Parts: sequence; C-alpha cells; structure tokens
Amino acid sequence: MQTTTAMGDALGRYLDLTSQQMQGTARNMANVDTPGFKTQGFDFEEVFAQQLNDGAGAAGLEGVQAPMQDVDGLVARPDGNNVSMDREGLQLAKAQMQFKLGTQLLKGEFATVMSAIHMDSK
Amino acid sequence: MNIFGVMDVSGSALKAERVRAEVVASNMANAETTRTPEGGPYQRHHVVFEAQGGGTFQESMANQLGGGSSVGAGSGFKNIYTGGISGGLSGDLTAANPTPGGVEVTGVIADASKPLERYDPSHPDAGADGFVAYPDINPLTEMVDLMGATRSYGMNASAITAEKSIFNSSLDLLK
Repeated sequence: MQTTTAMGDALGRYLDLTSQQMQGTARNMANVDTPGFKTQGFDFEEVFAQQLNDGAGAAGLEGVQAPMQDVDGLVARPDGNNVSMDREGLQLAKAQMQFKLGTQLLKGEFATVMSAIHMDSK
Repeated sequence: MNIFGVMDVSGSALKAERVRAEVVASNMANAETTRTPEGGPYQRHHVVFEAQGGGTFQESMANQLGGGSSVGAGSGFKNIYTGGISGGLSGDLTAANPTPGGVEVTGVIADASKPLERYDPSHPDAGADGFVAYPDINPLTEMVDLMGATRSYGMNASAITAEKSIFNSSLDLLK
C-alpha cells in the first residue's frame, strides 16, 4: 500500500533545503561582527533540481547537506567581513515564506490520504 | 520573475538606501576634515543609483501572457524576465547577480565643488595667506539626504511586509 507520493517526497526535500537555507542565514547573521567572515550560501534552485534528479526516496533525505559556498559580489567592510544584514533579513523572510508554502502543500497531500482513510465513515 | 521577485526588487532598494545613509554619515563625519590621503580637504561624496533593466507592470504582464517569449526590441516591449515565469527561486541580492527591476549602487563619486576658504592662520593646514580649505559640506543638506534615505528604507521595508501579506493571502487559497 502506498501512502507516500512523489509530490510528498519533493515537498520534503523542499522543506529540508529551506531549513538548511535558514540555518545558513542564521549563521551569517550570527557572524555579522566577526572580522574576516565571508557570507556563505547555496543556489537553492540548482541544489533542489539536483536532489529531485537523484531520485532517491524520502529516506535519501537523511543527511543530505547542500554544499555551502562563499557568496561573491558582496561589499566587504574594512575588517574583511562581507555580511549584508539586508540580504540576510530578506533571505530569512523568504525562507519563512517558502516553509509556509511547503507545509501548506504537504498538509494538502496528507488531507488527501486522510480522506481516503475516512472514506467508510462518510 | 517568481513569487519572491518583488521581494528581491525591494531588497535591492534596501541595500542601496543603506549605502546612501552610510555615505551621508561619512560626509557629516568629515565636514571639517582638511587632510586626506589624496591631499587637500575631504570632498563631499555622492552615491550613484542605477536601475537594473526595469519595465512597467503592463510590459511585464504582456510579456508573461505572451508565454514569456523574447519580445523583439522595437515592438515597445522590453523582455526583462527572460525565461518567462520561471525566474531564479531565490535571487541573492549581490552585485554579481543584479535584480531585474531593482536598483544597484554603481558607484560613489566625489563632488567637484570648490573647498570653502576660511581665515585661520593658527591652523596647521593654513596656506601662506592664512586661509584654510574646508570641505564644502552643509549639515542641512546632509540631514535632508539622511532623512530621505531613512524614509525610502522604511518605505521599501513596508513594501516587503506587503509582499509577505500578499503571499499569505495566496496561501489562503489552498485552504
């Protein structure tokens, strides 16, 4: 019997990557005053597409860490730190929204399964 | 352009306004500076903002309805959202990756206005005639500029809040 869907798996990955993006953003924000710290991040779209193509089931989500790279094109301060609070704040807001979207869609997926389970009582 | 596109545009404005405020602060801090590494008094600095290939709502809409295909130049449409509706999932607000429709600080330039000459023979930087060259910086002008930067920053922050509420409304459609 199959209760997992491709959509559910994809959403799981989406949420997992989003929370990783949040972690990265939090790390950047925490180091806003660390001399020489460089902003790190990953290309969400690229990593997400790659993970979807890998085709491993939801179990394959375990421990998949997106590769963190230095973000270029940011202005460095005299102490070598290039964290932009505006960029990080916006990233955090976006990650929150992405998470909301993912959880809402997942809720819909589960609602479908639940309606099948409760089929006889209706 | 995607659901987060508007946020990137407002975010680029936040970044630019912050730079503007920093430059104003630098001007005010150096209002009495008579020595610089380049020699002579401090010169007032200006930021230069440049729009990143914008377009009106109408143009984008027509472009999107046309399947986002590239619209030839000269037909009155600018195709700033290449690839139509599938933009990058997350723009990253860096100079390496400018936001279409947003704004970027393309440079900080020094004002070419003449320095103010004030008579103060006891000043170490006074010339042979006893006059000292001070930067031509008016605190009033700078304060007005700073207020403008603050207001614009707040305005764009409000735009992001609005964008978030729009997003939440669209999520309500799923319920």
